[in-house]
Amino acid sequence: MNDGGKRLTLEGVLDVHTLQHAKLLLTQQLKTSKTKVFDLGKLGALDSTGALLLCGLREQGVELTGARAEHQRLLDLVCGLKLATLPKPAQVPRWRQLVINLGKGADDVWRDAYAVIAFVALAANATGRVLLQWRRLPLPSISRHVAETGIDALPIVALMAVMISIVIGYQGVAQLRPYGGEEFTVNLVAVSMLREMGVLVTSIMVAGRSGSAFAAEIGVMRVREEIDAMSVMGMDPMEMLVVPRLLALVITLPLLTFFSDLMGLAGGAAIAAGILDITPLQYLSRVHSAVSVDDLTVGLVKAPVFAILIALVGCMHGLRVSSSAESVGRETTRAVVKAIFLVIVLDALFSILFERLGV
Amino acid sequence: MVSARGIVNRFGSEVVHDKLSLDVMPGEVLGIAGGSGSGKSVLLKTLIGLRRPDAGEVSLAGQPLASIGPGEKAALIGVLFQQGALFSSLSVAQNIMLPVARATDLPSGEQERIAAMKLELAGLPADTGTKFPSELSGGMIKRAAFARALALDPRILFLDEPTSDLDPLAAAGIDELIGQMNRALGITIVLVTHDLTTLFSVCHRAAILVDGKLTVDTPQRLLKSPNPWIHDFLHGARGELARRQATGKGN
Repeated sequence: MNDGGKRLTLEGVLDVHTLQHAKLLLTQQLKTSKTKVFDLGKLGALDSTGALLLCGLREQGVELTGARAEHQRLLDLVCGLKLATLPKPAQVPRWRQLVINLGKGADDVWRDAYAVIAFVALAANATGRVLLQWRRLPLPSISRHVAETGIDALPIVALMAVMISIVIGYQGVAQLRPYGGEEFTVNLVAVSMLREMGVLVTSIMVAGRSGSAFAAEIGVMRVREEIDAMSVMGMDPMEMLVVPRLLALVITLPLLTFFSDLMGLAGGAAIAAGILDITPLQYLSRVHSAVSVDDLTVGLVKAPVFAILIALVGCMHGLRVSSSAESVGRETTRAVVKAIFLVIVLDALFSILFERLGV
Repeated sequence: MVSARGIVNRFGSEVVHDKLSLDVMPGEVLGIAGGSGSGKSVLLKTLIGLRRPDAGEVSLAGQPLASIGPGEKAALIGVLFQQGALFSSLSVAQNIMLPVARATDLPSGEQERIAAMKLELAGLPADTGTKFPSELSGGMIKRAAFARALALDPRILFLDEPTSDLDPLAAAGIDELIGQMNRALGITIVLVTHDLTTLFSVCHRAAILVDGKLTVDTPQRLLKSPNPWIHDFLHGARGELARRQATGKGN
C-alpha cells in the first residue's frame, strides 16, 4: 500500500483472507491521514468480500477510482446489493424449552405406544395370513434371513457364551472359596447359563446384529422408495419384508440359545479344569446333578418371545425412516437400544413369573 | 381413465391442493407441471393411492380408488418412481418378473421371455437382465424401472419426473420411449415433470399446478394463458428453447 498524500493507492490482494488486515490498515489510514480517494488501479486481486469492504468505505464518503474493468463490475454488483441483516432465530428461554421438551416427550411416548400397538397388530395379521397359506410362504427370503441371523452368528455367539461363563466362573470361585464351597461354582455357572445368561447374552447380541440389520435394510429401502413401489405393485410390505424376518428369527434364536448354552457349559468345564482341578468327567456328572430339565426349558422358552420382540422392533423402526441418511442412522440406533432394553425388562418379568410358578 | 374430484391436501396449515379436479382421457399423455414445491409429487401420490387426500376422491378406469384391491391395482397401473425404486436385492430381470410371478402361475421360462420382451421394449440390451440395480447408470435405471412398470401391461402408467437426473441424450430417449408406448400400446400416461421439453414434445395436454389449483389445456393453448406464473413458466428463456426443440423434432 502506498501513500500519495490525499490519494491512497492500493496494491496487493484484497479478499476474504486478507480482510481483517486490510480493514485495520485502511480504517487507520482514514483516521490518521484524512485521505478521501482510493486509487484501485494497482489492486491485484479483489473478491466479493473485499468489494464489500470497499463499498462500506464508499458509503463513509471515500471515493473509489481507477478500478480495472473486472473489479469495477464486481464493485457495481456488490455495492448495488441491499444487504439486509440476517434474522436472528427466536430466543426461547431455557425453562420454557424444558417444558416444551417435556410436553413433546410425553406426546411422543403416547404416539409411540399407539404406533407400536398398530404395528404389532398388522404384523400378527400378516404372519397369520402367510402361515395359513402355505404356498405363499416366502421360503427363499426366510432361508436367507436364517442364514444371516443364525448361521453367521454362530461363531460370535459361541465366543460370547464361553467368555461369559468364564467370567461368571471366576467370580463364583472368588466368592465361594472363603466358604470352602468353590466346587459349587460349577452349579452356579451351569444353572445361570441355562436359565438366564445364555438366552440373555445371545438375545442382546442378536438384537445388536440383526435388530440393526433389519432396521437399516428396511430403512434404506424406504429412502429409495422401494416400499412405495411394493405398495403400488400390490405387494404388502408387511408380508414381504417383516414376516420373513420374524419367522427366521423365531427359528434361529432358540437354536442359537441352545448352542450358547452348550458353549457356556464348555466354558464352565474349562474353568473347572483350570482352576478347580475338576476333570471333565467329574464336571459332567456335577452338572447332571445340579441342573434339571426345567432350567433348560426356562431359558429356551424365553427365546422365541425375545425373537419376536427383536424382529418387530427392528422392522418397525426401519419402516419409520423418513427420506434421509441421518434418519436411517437414528432409527437403527433406536431399534437396537429399544430391543436390548425390552429384552432385559422382559427377562426380569420372566424371572418373576417363573419364580411364582415355582419352576 | 383417471379422474380426481375435489382433492384437498394439507400439511399442517399449508394447503397444497385446494379442491383440485382432474380428468385424464383414455389414451392420452398428460403432463403435470409446476414449480418446485408446488405439490406435484403429492398429487401423484394421491392419484396412485400412496396418500389419502384430506378431502376428495380419485377413481381409476371408472372405479373408486379405495375399492380397487392390491392385485387389481397392480394389473391396472404401473408406476415409475423418480429414483427408479428398483428392488436392490434383485437383478433387473427378477425385478421385472416379480409382479408377473405374483399375478400369474406362469412357469419361470415363460416369465423370463416376458421379462426379455419388456427389457427390449424399454430399449435395454438383454444382458442388462442379470445386472443388479447398483451396477446400472442413471438412464438404464429409469429404463429398467420403466420395463418393470410395464410388466403386467397396465392400462395407466404414472411417471414421476421421468427425465430428471438424465443427460440430454438420455432424456430425449425417455421422451421417445414414452411417446412410443403411448402410440403402440395405447397406454394412458400421467407424468409429473418440470422438464419443459417433455411437456412440449410428448404431452397431449398439460396440467399446470399453481397456488393449489390446476389449469389444464394443450401446451399450445397454455402458451397464451393470461395467468402470469404460467406465462413466465412457459415463456421464460428455457421455455422458448424447449418449445423450439420440441416442435423442431416434430411433435
